Amino acid sequence: MSLLSDPLSVVFLLSSLMSVIAAVLIVHHKSIVYSAFFLSILGVGNSILFTLLGFPIIALFHLSVYVGAAVTFILFSVVMLKEAPVVEPPVKALAVIAAGALALIMMKIFSVFTAEPSFFLNYRDLTALLVTKYWFALIVAAIALVTTLIEAITLARREV
Amino acid sequence: MEASWYLFVSSILFAIGIYGLLTRRNIIRMLLSAEIIFNAALLAFLSLASLDAGYGPVGGAIVVIAISLSAAEVGVIVSIAIMMFRMRRALDVYELKKFRG
Repeated sequence: MSLLSDPLSVVFLLSSLMSVIAAVLIVHHKSIVYSAFFLSILGVGNSILFTLLGFPIIALFHLSVYVGAAVTFILFSVVMLKEAPVVEPPVKALAVIAAGALALIMMKIFSVFTAEPSFFLNYRDLTALLVTKYWFALIVAAIALVTTLIEAITLARREV
Repeated sequence: MEASWYLFVSSILFAIGIYGLLTRRNIIRMLLSAEIIFNAALLAFLSLASLDAGYGPVGGAIVVIAISLSAAEVGVIVSIAIMMFRMRRALDVYELKKFRG
């Protein structure tokens, strides 16, 4: 009950529940279009979790670049495709066991981290670090994004 | 809220993504499952970075670059999927073998 009395804990529970349900629907929904839509819901849930961890700028960036650009790109591209029937590999039981075992092992490892996050990302620190230490990675990321833009234009022309 | 709770959510998302990757052959569905894993990795990374004020900005900077590169990766895979659909009318990853050389 004490968990529910803290508003931040309630936000955490709701956003994590939203993320997990969206992830399950991405994998299980019959329509790929809806699966891509649920990926954007997962992105929104994750952004709320990033904000709770003290990274609101990263959450905004995730919402604008990932949900706003990448997922929307998938969504609109998927609309162009007709879903052809694919024979799925008959390994569902094995996959459930493998994924379950993996989740349990990871939870056991992560249970060590009992400290509470008490950090708030200052955008000045982030930009200073990006401009001074990670400037080359930033340029590579910018070039990669431009490449995606060119790909999107090429796809839209339908002459390939 | 302890950092371990965020890491538990990340583990669950990671497991769901792995399940999706193992059970699907449709290239778009595999991409979506890989994106679940990517989101889980981001959450775990930021959860661990938030524990130490010294690593916080570094974690933030790396995640910004990772999100940008992920957007580019999505573009490449969706382009491959659309090319594959135009040429073979299929989205089965096993069909990719026929595109060799």
